[in-house]
Amino acid sequence: MGEYALLIILFAPFLGATALVFIPRKEELLVRMTAAVSSGIALLASFYIFFAYDTTKGGYQFVQRFSWSDELGIAFYLGVDGIGGPLVFASAILLFAGIFVSWHIKDRIKEFYIFLLILAAATIGVFMSLDLFFLYFFYEMSVLPMYLLLGVWGSHTKGYLSMTDPEGLKLRDSVGFIFNFASNSKEYAAMKLVLFLSAGAVVALMGILLIYHFSGLHTFDIVVLREKAHFTGTLATVIWFLIFFGFASIAPIWPLHSWSPVGHAAAPAATSMLHAGVLMKLGHFSIIRVGYEILPETTREWIPVAAILCVFSIIYGGLVSYFAKDTKYVIGYSSSSHMGYIFLGMAALDYISLTGAVIYMFAHALATSMLFAMAGWVYDQTHSRDIPSLGGLIERMPFIAGAFIIACMASIGMPGTVNFIAEIMIIMGSWEKYPFQVVVAMFGIVLTMAYLFKMMRGLFYGQMDPHFAHSADATHWVDRMPLLLLIACSIILGIFPGRFLEVVGSTVGPLLDRINQVTPLITHNTQDLLH
Amino acid sequence: MLTFNLTLSGSDLLLLLPEIFLTLWLCVVLCLDFSLKRITHQQLAYLSIGGLGITGLMLIGMDVTGITGALFKNMFVLDHLALFFKILVVLATALVVFMSIDYVRDFRFFKGEYYCMVVMSAIGMMFMASSNDLLSVFVTLEFSTFGFYVLVAYLRDDIRSSEAGLKFFILGVFAAGLLAYGISLVYGETGTMVFSEMAGNQGSYGLAIGFILIFAALGFKIGAVPFHSWIPDTYQGAPTPVTAFLSIAPKGAALAILIRMFYVALASFKPMWVVVFVLASIVSMTYGNVVAIAQKNIKRLLAYSGIAQIGNIMIGLAAGTKQGSDAIMFFLLTYLFANLGAFAVIIAVSQVIRSDEIEDYNGLNRRSPFLAAAMLLFLLSLAGVPPLAGFIGKLYLFVAAMEQELYTLLVVGLVNIVISMYYYLIVVKKMYINEPTDPSPIAASMPIKVAVYVGIAGTLVLGIYPGPFIDWAVDATLMFSNIVAPVAALSVLPGS
Repeated sequence: MGEYALLIILFAPFLGATALVFIPRKEELLVRMTAAVSSGIALLASFYIFFAYDTTKGGYQFVQRFSWSDELGIAFYLGVDGIGGPLVFASAILLFAGIFVSWHIKDRIKEFYIFLLILAAATIGVFMSLDLFFLYFFYEMSVLPMYLLLGVWGSHTKGYLSMTDPEGLKLRDSVGFIFNFASNSKEYAAMKLVLFLSAGAVVALMGILLIYHFSGLHTFDIVVLREKAHFTGTLATVIWFLIFFGFASIAPIWPLHSWSPVGHAAAPAATSMLHAGVLMKLGHFSIIRVGYEILPETTREWIPVAAILCVFSIIYGGLVSYFAKDTKYVIGYSSSSHMGYIFLGMAALDYISLTGAVIYMFAHALATSMLFAMAGWVYDQTHSRDIPSLGGLIERMPFIAGAFIIACMASIGMPGTVNFIAEIMIIMGSWEKYPFQVVVAMFGIVLTMAYLFKMMRGLFYGQMDPHFAHSADATHWVDRMPLLLLIACSIILGIFPGRFLEVVGSTVGPLLDRINQVTPLITHNTQDLLH
Repeated sequence: MLTFNLTLSGSDLLLLLPEIFLTLWLCVVLCLDFSLKRITHQQLAYLSIGGLGITGLMLIGMDVTGITGALFKNMFVLDHLALFFKILVVLATALVVFMSIDYVRDFRFFKGEYYCMVVMSAIGMMFMASSNDLLSVFVTLEFSTFGFYVLVAYLRDDIRSSEAGLKFFILGVFAAGLLAYGISLVYGETGTMVFSEMAGNQGSYGLAIGFILIFAALGFKIGAVPFHSWIPDTYQGAPTPVTAFLSIAPKGAALAILIRMFYVALASFKPMWVVVFVLASIVSMTYGNVVAIAQKNIKRLLAYSGIAQIGNIMIGLAAGTKQGSDAIMFFLLTYLFANLGAFAVIIAVSQVIRSDEIEDYNGLNRRSPFLAAAMLLFLLSLAGVPPLAGFIGKLYLFVAAMEQELYTLLVVGLVNIVISMYYYLIVVKKMYINEPTDPSPIAASMPIKVAVYVGIAGTLVLGIYPGPFIDWAVDATLMFSNIVAPVAALSVLPGS
C-alpha cells in the first residue's frame, strides 16, 4: 500500500469531487461527509508519507510512473522529496480543516465542495509532479476553481458596498473592471486573481517549452532533465527569468503581489486558508523544482534578484498591513510580507536558510490559515471585517479569541511554534550573505507584532458595539476541531522539529551541493530513477 | 492536357463506399419524407443519425483495416488523413442532428428537408477531405457550401437569418470566384491539377498569386482574419444548430485541403508560406480575442472565439511539420467537442428563454446546474484550462511551434490565452455569480442532453487521457514524415 500513497493522496479529493457530482444536492450532510471523508483519507495518507519518507536515502520517493503520451514525451510521474512531502502534508491538513471551517455554508454546498476539493487536489498534484507537463497541468488547474470560489461564495469589501449612488452602482456591476481599481467587488478580485495567475502561468509555460525544446531530450521528465539537460549563456538566463517571474507571481513577490491581498479579502474562509496556506507556496516550490533543479548554475548567478525584491515584499506588505482596516487585508498583506522571508531563505543558498524557508512554507500555512479561519468566523458572526467598528468580542467568543491569540503568536514566530524554528533558521542562515536583508527581516518581525497585536486588540478587546451582541462562539466540535488541529500541528512540530528537519534536510543538502559546487551532476539519490 | 479514362473496378468503388452509402441513405430519407405522410421529423432525424452512424462505423473500419487508395487519377485519395477528417465530419454532423431535433420542431415548413441539407453538406465535406487535386477541391468545396447557403437562411421569417444567408452567399460566391481564378493561374503555371505532381515546380509570380488566391478562398471557409468578415453576422443570424455545424465541420474539411496543399504541393516553398501563416495566425488570434471581449450575444462571442481558435490552429500550419499537422488534427477534435457542446447548451437555453444575449445567462447555475456546469467545462476547454481537452490541444500546437522556434508566434499565442480567459470567464460570471432575474428552472430535452453528454465525455477524455487520440492523429499523417523535413526546413531561407 505504501507505494500507492501518492496516488491515494492525489485521487482521494478528485474522486470525492466526482462522487459529489452524482450526489443529489438535497442530501447536504452526505455532501459534507463525502468531502470530509475524501479529504480525511488524503490527510491520513499524507501523514503516512511524512513519516515513512526515508531520510537516509533522500531523493524522490513513493515514485509512480505511467506513460501518458510518448509522442510528446509526457509521463504521469509522481514522487515527493523532502520539500514536496511536507507541503503535500500541509495541503492535506488545510483541506481537511477547510472543509470543517466551511461546514456552515448554505448556498450551493455541492458546488462549493467540488471546487474546493479540485483546488486542493490540484495543489497537491503540483507538489508531487516529477514531470514538467504535469507540474504545469496541476498548477493551471488550481487557478480556475479560485475564480468560482471567490466569485460565488466570496464577499465584497466595505468600499464596494458603500457605492450606492447610480454611477457607483453602474461602476460596481460593470464587468470592464480590469482597470477599475476603485471597485472592491468579489468579482473584481476573482478576475484579477485569475488573470494575474494565468499571465504568470503562461510566462512559466514559455520557460518550460524552452527547456523542453533546447534540452533536446524530447521529454518533460524533471529527473531526466535535471541530470542530462545543460543550459548555458543567455538561453539559460532567459529561461531562468521566465521560470522565476512566472512562478513568483503566485508566490507573490513584490511587485507582482497586488492580486493576492484583494483575492484573500474576497475569498471565503476555507479558500483563503488554502490560498494563503498552500497555493502561494506553489510559486516557491515550482521555482525550487524547476529553477533550482534544472538550472543550478543560473540559479546561483541570478537568485540575488530574489534577495533584492524580498526586501520590498517584507517592508511594503508589513506597512500596508499595519494601516489596513479590513481584517482579511491585514492577514493578506501579512502573508505577502511573510513570503519575503521565504524568498530570503531561498536566495541565500545556504543549507540552514533553505531548510528554514521550506519549514517556513509549512509553518506559514498553518499560522495564516488559522488566522483566516478565525477572521472568517468573526465575519460570519458579525458580517463585518472592519477592525475599527469591531471590538470586545472576547466576551462573546472566548474560544475564538484564545485561538486567535495563539495564531498571532505563531504568525509572529513565538518559540514553541514551528514558525519560530523556521524564522530563526532563515535569519541565521542568510546573515552571512545578506546582512542587510536580515536586518529588514527583523524589522519585519517587529512590524508583524505591531499589526497583529493591533488587530487582536481591535477585534477582541475594548468596547463592544451592542450591534454585535448576538455573535456566538465556536462551541460545536465541528467548529473547534479544525482550529485545534492546526494549533496542535503547529505546536507539536514546534516542540519536536527533529523529524521535520531531517526530512527537509535530506533534500536540501544535495540540492544545494549541486547549486554551490555544480560539478557532481549525478547525485547518488536519483541515479536509480534514470531510465 | 487532361484526359479521363474512367475504369472503375469493384475494389475501387469500395474506397467510395461511405460516400455512396450516405448518398443513397439520404435519398431514402428524402423519399420517406414525402411519401409517408405520418413520418415525423424526429423519426427522420434518427434515421439520418442512423445513416451517419453506419457511415462512421464504415470509416472507422476502413481506418482500422487500413483500406487506402487513390481514384480518378489522384483526384480522390483515401488515406488515413482523409479518414480522420471524414470521421470528424461525420461525428460533428451526427451531433448537430441531435442538437437540431428540438430546434427544427419550431420550423413551420421544410422540416424533413433540413436533415437532408445537413447530411448533403456532410457528404460534400467528406469529399473535401479526400480531394487531392485543384478541380476536386473546387467542386467539393462548392458542393458542401451549397448546402450551407440554404441552411444559413433557413429561418425564412427571421430577418437576421435572411441577412446572414445573403452575406454568406455573396461572400461565398466571391470566394469561389477567387478560388477558380487561383486554380486557373496555378494550372497555367504548372500544367497540372494534382497536388503531388506540383511538388517539384519552380516558383513564379503567377504561381504565388494563384496560391494566395486559393489560400484566400480557403481562409474564407475557415474564417481566418482577414477573410473573417462574414463570420459574426452569419453565426448570429443562422439557426443555432447550423451555426454549430458551420463552426466546426467546414473548418475541418478545409483544413484537410490546406494541409494537403501546403504540405504536399508547396512543400518546397515552405519558408515563404510559413511567414503567411505566422502573420495570419497572429492577426486572427489577437483580433478574435480582443473583439470577443466586447460581445453581448453568446453566438457572436463564440464566432469571435472561433476566429481566435482558427488562429491557434494556424500555429500548427505555421510550424509546417508533421508535428504541426498532428497538433492541428488533435486540436480540431478537442474543438469539436467543446464547441458543439457549447452550442448544444446555447440551444437548450434559447429553447426556454428565447434569447441568446449573454445577459440572459444570469444565474444559469441556479436555473439548471447541469447546463451551467456543462457550459463551464466547454468554455474552459476553449480557453485551454487543464484538465480539459483544449489545454492539451493548445499545448500540442505550442510544442510544435517551439520545435520550429517560432518565438513571436508563441508569445502572441500565450498572451492570447490570458486575453481569452477574460471573456470566457465573463460568461462564467454571469452563469455562476449573478443572480437570475427569472429563477424558473430550465430543462434540456433528451436529444440535446445526448449532445451535451457526448461533448462533456469528449472534453474530459481527450483532456485526461489523450494518448490514443494523439497516436491516431500521428498515424494519420505518417505520409508527411518524409515530405517535410522538420529541422532542415528552417535553414532554407527565401532567396538563399
